[in-house]
Amino acid sequence: MSRLIRNRAKTPPSVMVSTVASPVALLSTEPTIVLEHVSKWYGDLVAVSDLSFSIGPGVTALLGPNGSGKSTTLKMISGLIGQSTGQIAIKHLPPRGAPETYRTFGLVSDVDQLYPYLTGREFVRMNALLQRMPEPDEAGRRAIDIVEMNYAADRRLGGYSKGMRQRIKLAAALVHDPDVLLMDEPLNGTDPAQRAHMIQLIRDFGKMGKTLLISSHVLIEVERFAENILVIVNGKLAAAGNYHTIRERIDNRPHVIRLRASDPRLLGSALLAEPSIRSIKIDEAGRILAETSDARSFYALVPGICRQNDVRLFEIEAADESLESVFSYLVQR
Amino acid sequence: MAAFLWNPFPVLMLTVRQFAGGKAVRVVGAISLFPVLFGAIYAFDPGIEIAEYFISEVIYRRLFIATLLPIIVLILATGALGNEIEDQTLPYLTLKPIRRLRIVVEKLAATVLVATPLVFAGLTLAYLLVYRSEAGGSEALTYLWAMLTSAFFGIVAYGSVFMLISLLIHRALLAGITYALVWESLLGRYLPGLRLVSIRHYTESIYVGLLDTETYQFIAARGDPLEDANSVAAAVITLAVVSVIAIGLSGRRLRRLNLE
Repeated sequence: MSRLIRNRAKTPPSVMVSTVASPVALLSTEPTIVLEHVSKWYGDLVAVSDLSFSIGPGVTALLGPNGSGKSTTLKMISGLIGQSTGQIAIKHLPPRGAPETYRTFGLVSDVDQLYPYLTGREFVRMNALLQRMPEPDEAGRRAIDIVEMNYAADRRLGGYSKGMRQRIKLAAALVHDPDVLLMDEPLNGTDPAQRAHMIQLIRDFGKMGKTLLISSHVLIEVERFAENILVIVNGKLAAAGNYHTIRERIDNRPHVIRLRASDPRLLGSALLAEPSIRSIKIDEAGRILAETSDARSFYALVPGICRQNDVRLFEIEAADESLESVFSYLVQR
Repeated sequence: MAAFLWNPFPVLMLTVRQFAGGKAVRVVGAISLFPVLFGAIYAFDPGIEIAEYFISEVIYRRLFIATLLPIIVLILATGALGNEIEDQTLPYLTLKPIRRLRIVVEKLAATVLVATPLVFAGLTLAYLLVYRSEAGGSEALTYLWAMLTSAFFGIVAYGSVFMLISLLIHRALLAGITYALVWESLLGRYLPGLRLVSIRHYTESIYVGLLDTETYQFIAARGDPLEDANSVAAAVITLAVVSVIAIGLSGRRLRRLNLE
């Protein structure tokens, strides 16, 4: 695997992103997770296509809409499924066929099902035993303490809420104190308090020097814990780099805003005079579709223009705020 | 079960807990009681047949080995790993620094550990109902010893093969039932050559071999003697080899399995 890492710089990334100097290497230290030209297909269906990136310690988010290939990527990294082509390494070890790799990482999967007949403590302890921890009771107690599940540790998992299951799964994943944590949508099903706690834990692990790769389809959520993001769309790496850099690009993309007004033609003409407006269309229902490069200024501008032209504004909303449209924009770039 | 077993055998203990809390074990428990039902019928009307023939041929060979034993083991063995695949909990075992073969062996051990007491209890109760006051006699005890010993080897062999099937195909229960009831029972009856590739044949060979020749000749003369019976040693070795091969293939399959 060392050959793989040394040669990484020579290998062109599958998707280049102009705003990031080294888009596929999100690290300043030795890479912990390396993917090189990884693809996965099922018959004619390509789930992941030529994915190459390296990540190091800290929190990296794997961002993408549902069905984009995030879970498949995490499953390949953890060795649950084999890749069709390419190479994967966690701390220089392949994730499949080398049991010692499993000492180095923990996986919090998106699968909700646990062993309903075990208590939380038994479940975490069982994971400690399987990790061959010398003191499984102590390791289990420590992990349960970290996720603050002591109050429910002796209850059966069958009675846990989804948020509690997420936390006990995290305890099981970190019972052997791994350097790498892979988490598939860990905030799903958590209430606001559990979410805040989980995010704090993720940040703390990142600060401790662990490598965390966390999948999410919620852009706004990622901001709270990840320094770096990898954007996957249709199984391909669409963007990679610092969260704020990519977020800025997303915010600066052309926005389409839909307006319903008493006189759409008059309002449309007035809006067109503004320099930040790129185009104005009026659809069949008489609604204005305004494309602007600065959405925030547009929202501030509209009330004044309506007043000046004596037009009543009934409705104003973003027409393309879905995550898919954001990702589509990134892919087009 | 004793908590101290968790440390050396976590997969085994997990599987025993899985069985203890599930409906599979209740179904298997109910099936194991079928011989008791037949024993009770005999107890009410002992005149229907002589005890030796009834326990040996009717209850054990025709009812238990031919039908009940494969179904009992099939339900447990396919559930041991199959349920974890279906529930997607298997990664909690496979993403650990332990050999996949160990997972298979502990899963099989749990299957045997749960199936054996249920099977033994059903057969022993049926035996007691058939023999009643003569149950302690040495000749009668020979039947019990032969039944329990051969059943144990059958449990291990069927368990190994059915566990492998559960790793190879999704409809393992259906495939197992087809194997046990169609291949072994139906086709085995009309195509004698198939008996040599049937776990049932070797289980029956162990049973027949453990009865002394005179005893078996007496009851066989009245009905359906086992043709081409192997010696006990040959049958035990064959079932052991089948089990080892199936366990090895299961370990190999588990290493390559994609857990979507």
